[in-house]
Amino acid sequence: MTMKKVILINVLFIFTILSCGPKDKKQLEPNTEPFNKAGLLENITYNLIIPSYQNLSNALDSLNTSYNAFKLNPTLTAFQTLKTDFNLAYQVYHQISPFEFGPAEQEVVRMNFNVFPTDTVQIKNNILNGSYNLSAISNIDAKGFPALDFLFYGHSKTETQLVQSFINSTAQTNYVSDLINEMRSKVISILNTWRNTYRATFVNSLGTDVGSSIGFLVNQLNYELDYLKNAKIGIPLGKKSLDVPLPQKCEAYYGQQSVSYALATLNAIESIYLGRGANGNNGLGFDDYLDHLKANHTNGTLNAAINAQFAIARTKLNAINGNLANQITANPTLVNTAYVELVKLLVLLKTDMPSHLGVIITYQDGDGD
Amino acid sequence: MGMVTKRLNAFFETQVSIAPLILFRMVWGSLLFISTLRFIVKGWVHTMYIQPKIFFPFYGFEWVKPLGSVGMYLVFALLLLTSLCILLGYFYRYASLLFFLLFTYVELIDKTNYLNHYYFVSLVSFIFLFLPANKNFSLDVRYRGVTELAQVPRFYEWLIKAQLFTVYLFAGIAKVNTDWLLDAQPLKIWLPAFSHWPLIGQYMESDWVAYLFSWFGCLYDLCIGFLLFYSRTTKWAYLIVLVFHLFTALFFNIGMFPYIMIGATLIFMPLSFHQKGLQYLASIFKISTPLAAKPLSVVPSKHWVIFILFFGVQLVLPFRYLLYPGKLFWTEQGYRFSWRVMLMEKAGTAFFFVKDSRTGKSIEIDNKNYLTYMQEKQMAMQPDMLLNYAHFLKKEFEKKGFVNPKVSTQCYVTLNGRPSRLLVNDTVDLSVQSNSFLKNKWWILPY
Repeated sequence: MTMKKVILINVLFIFTILSCGPKDKKQLEPNTEPFNKAGLLENITYNLIIPSYQNLSNALDSLNTSYNAFKLNPTLTAFQTLKTDFNLAYQVYHQISPFEFGPAEQEVVRMNFNVFPTDTVQIKNNILNGSYNLSAISNIDAKGFPALDFLFYGHSKTETQLVQSFINSTAQTNYVSDLINEMRSKVISILNTWRNTYRATFVNSLGTDVGSSIGFLVNQLNYELDYLKNAKIGIPLGKKSLDVPLPQKCEAYYGQQSVSYALATLNAIESIYLGRGANGNNGLGFDDYLDHLKANHTNGTLNAAINAQFAIARTKLNAINGNLANQITANPTLVNTAYVELVKLLVLLKTDMPSHLGVIITYQDGDGD
Repeated sequence: MGMVTKRLNAFFETQVSIAPLILFRMVWGSLLFISTLRFIVKGWVHTMYIQPKIFFPFYGFEWVKPLGSVGMYLVFALLLLTSLCILLGYFYRYASLLFFLLFTYVELIDKTNYLNHYYFVSLVSFIFLFLPANKNFSLDVRYRGVTELAQVPRFYEWLIKAQLFTVYLFAGIAKVNTDWLLDAQPLKIWLPAFSHWPLIGQYMESDWVAYLFSWFGCLYDLCIGFLLFYSRTTKWAYLIVLVFHLFTALFFNIGMFPYIMIGATLIFMPLSFHQKGLQYLASIFKISTPLAAKPLSVVPSKHWVIFILFFGVQLVLPFRYLLYPGKLFWTEQGYRFSWRVMLMEKAGTAFFFVKDSRTGKSIEIDNKNYLTYMQEKQMAMQPDMLLNYAHFLKKEFEKKGFVNPKVSTQCYVTLNGRPSRLLVNDTVDLSVQSNSFLKNKWWILPY
């Protein structure tokens, strides 16, 4: 064949394809309706994100009310009601922790609400001095839920002694009020921004690139899972300290709610994945998205593999059964089993899922090729 | 044999108008200037060359280090200045040399940032060192007494054309693989991400569209070089170039690459196009007789030697992967510098462990402590980067008092939508393995 013929054949081939494509579009209808990404974002916005912030706002209001009641009448009963409300608010907080984008990113929620271990020396100094700037970087580990956890549960103090510490110190009483109110105002501000402006911005961003809503959700869901695996389980267990357990690094160390909050975090992540609303109804979520794209895994669908792994991780976390700070020394194997299952879940959610969705796992902008 | 050489020589020594080279110099200079400016404005000098705590060097170039904040911004300021000099043809030789050296230096600092189009820019910048592209329509002619030329040997124009031809041809050859042609991967994964677009969005989840795009993309890359060279099809081919690259710019996060190709392939356009272009510029800037007749030049034999080697190496590099066992996309042994563009959807998660040999205890590393998001993402799917990181961790933990630290990783990777699995043997101490390209990375698990 001469060069000319080769070229001619190539040209014909290209133009056949070029001209075939559009003309045949009428016969070649789309396989299926495209996945309803807007529906997924609407579901997550209106049924999960906004109601969860509302729940947290309500829970913080209740906490505030019971705290005011306790201040007026510092009885043991009032203190116990206060602690119940505190645990409830802390529990509800974990549902919104993964939404660290948009308004929550502006308020730097994770840094302001839940840095643990809390700095007990700094807390004592703040109370002693009576003057402090809660927005200062130096105070990020002296406020939020972990600081309240310390002040409400203390360390080797009886309930009566704790109640007495509030009666004795107006400065401490005021400090707690300031901590509760800082969180309340931040949550209200975030909730209002979501209701007024951000919901439209969020629901209308339909891409999968850096800075898109699906990008935010997938990235933050993985950030939260990484945080669960490392900060809440791995570090106390000794994964970063040559197997030396570090009980004081547990979340909610003083109130001993670590396992319960780890489960709350796992539920929060699962809610985003399933598109499960705050009322428990399962709507459009990433599970539907993956099934729609026919994403497969080793045996069966990727969605089935992820759901199974959520279930296993939950079972193993539940099996820790008791106070994490004790179990990391008494029963390290049990804790490690939960850790291993969280790692498997992380691989599925951080590597397999984004790869099928075309989501780039990064917070950093750059070119590809 | 002698006959062929003689005819080839005659063909390449034929004097042709300098106009295409001049226009190319201006287009290329502008593209370099815009790309560099964009890179600085996006803050990437900071995120890629100042912020990272460690860098991933290319094998043999471990001595290439970043220069710190002031130094790196100075380098980018010089890149801006030299690209402007190339555009205007002012101190052209020095500017070309400096641009080539500085640009290549920046690319060698960290392979995290490797992109085929940066490699392409380095290569074309090298060609620029030898082009007589400042011999007309330049500040060098006007102010620095450089001899004006109207005609130059065809050789120089063909260097650019040959380079573009090479890029397209190898990009096409790389697409001839079963994933691309038979499974329409990775486009089958990438296209559904655009299903929310008006009109065409509804087709983005259809398999036939993924196949159409895959096959067209492959044929485009394989044929476009020929079509551009063949004078009767040049104009049509350029139209396809335009449509194709604008499409890819719309779909993918590939930055300046489409515009660089759209600008560069103008070199194939007929002479009349270049002459009109220059006449137009001459009328704007009121320059008389832009293409005055002046003495002829010949191709020095050293140019022949240099460029036969230059293209010879480029022809061999893309096939070096055949020397390694295993699947190329998985091992990436011989993947870079081969025009494998937008070829696979690959992602990974790597958990690193450092073991103290004395106590037998190990710790798990939080990669975020040492790497940027971009570095972690690239490292977690490329074996040679896993190794660089392991070597770094060994040194780091020796400093922290670990006795003979052993570094291993559990690295899970997914390729073109297949279930993630371990990329490397997770029991091997990576910190003592060699990163030489002369040795097969035996610790990569088979795919």
